[in-house]
Amino acid sequence: MAESGLITGYLAALSADLPAGIVDELADGLDQTRRQYLELGQDPDAAAQSAIADFGEPQVIVDAFTRASPARRTARKLLASGPVAGACWGTALIAGRAWRWPVPVQARVVLGLALMTVIALLAAAAFGRRYRSVSRSGAAACLAIVALDSAMVVAAVLVVPALIWPLIAAIFVSAIRATFAARTLRLLLAACAHSAL
Amino acid sequence: MRAEELKGHLDALLLAALEGGPRHGYAVMESLREATGGRLDLPTGTIYPALRRLEGAGLIRGSWSVVGGRRRREYRLTAAGQRALSGKRADWRDFAATVSSALEGGPWPSPA
Repeated sequence: MAESGLITGYLAALSADLPAGIVDELADGLDQTRRQYLELGQDPDAAAQSAIADFGEPQVIVDAFTRASPARRTARKLLASGPVAGACWGTALIAGRAWRWPVPVQARVVLGLALMTVIALLAAAAFGRRYRSVSRSGAAACLAIVALDSAMVVAAVLVVPALIWPLIAAIFVSAIRATFAARTLRLLLAACAHSAL
Repeated sequence: MRAEELKGHLDALLLAALEGGPRHGYAVMESLREATGGRLDLPTGTIYPALRRLEGAGLIRGSWSVVGGRRRREYRLTAAGQRALSGKRADWRDFAATVSSALEGGPWPSPA
């Protein structure tokens, strides 16, 4: 059954913001809704208009998918738990007198920049309004967290002369965050493979 | 019934719609319409994001098929989804009993 120009335009509006897999699913539902109206005796244009009215405004649908995005939910959890991780590492670094550790200045600067980048990416994913940018920022933030927290853990184990309990707590928190971020990253990449972000 | 009135209960409704077997988004919507005698007035487009959210939470699992040359995504309840549905049903019964007894001024269900 030929697709109405109205529906083609509606799907094009959704495609501007949503990945192909989601648009395919919506297109199937929209087509079935339109067929139902045709069976009820509406003409093709009226059936297309009724189906579109049932679905709602494209921006409302895009906003709902963005809110439901795993990237957004993960970014919000990581942002919310960020102060806890920061406090753990802050306590560990102060207790371990980190300023005496043999870490080059360049490495400290890179670490600081990486930390700020992660926070910016998480904020973009947590509060962004466009599905694709939320997904991309979330995936990049998850990747950066896995790298950053792993680097912190490895550096702490290699550089610190003695493991003290605040450092053990910080390593534990980082390991949890890195695992959570890695799991979400895997989900995001799988979704990307299925529907092209 | 409007979408705002369903806030907090949409997940349970969607899980219940999938309890009878795998369904795609439109069939879920139809099932809810039939089960409620057409009183649910949800924008159909909002069902799909909710299904994806439930899938992300591991309560349902989606899979693709091709029907009539068009890709179709069907969802089925997972074991975790079945447990969540049982919990939500119990919560709803408690909630309904509490509110009904407060509104009706007596124990609910009222004695015959």
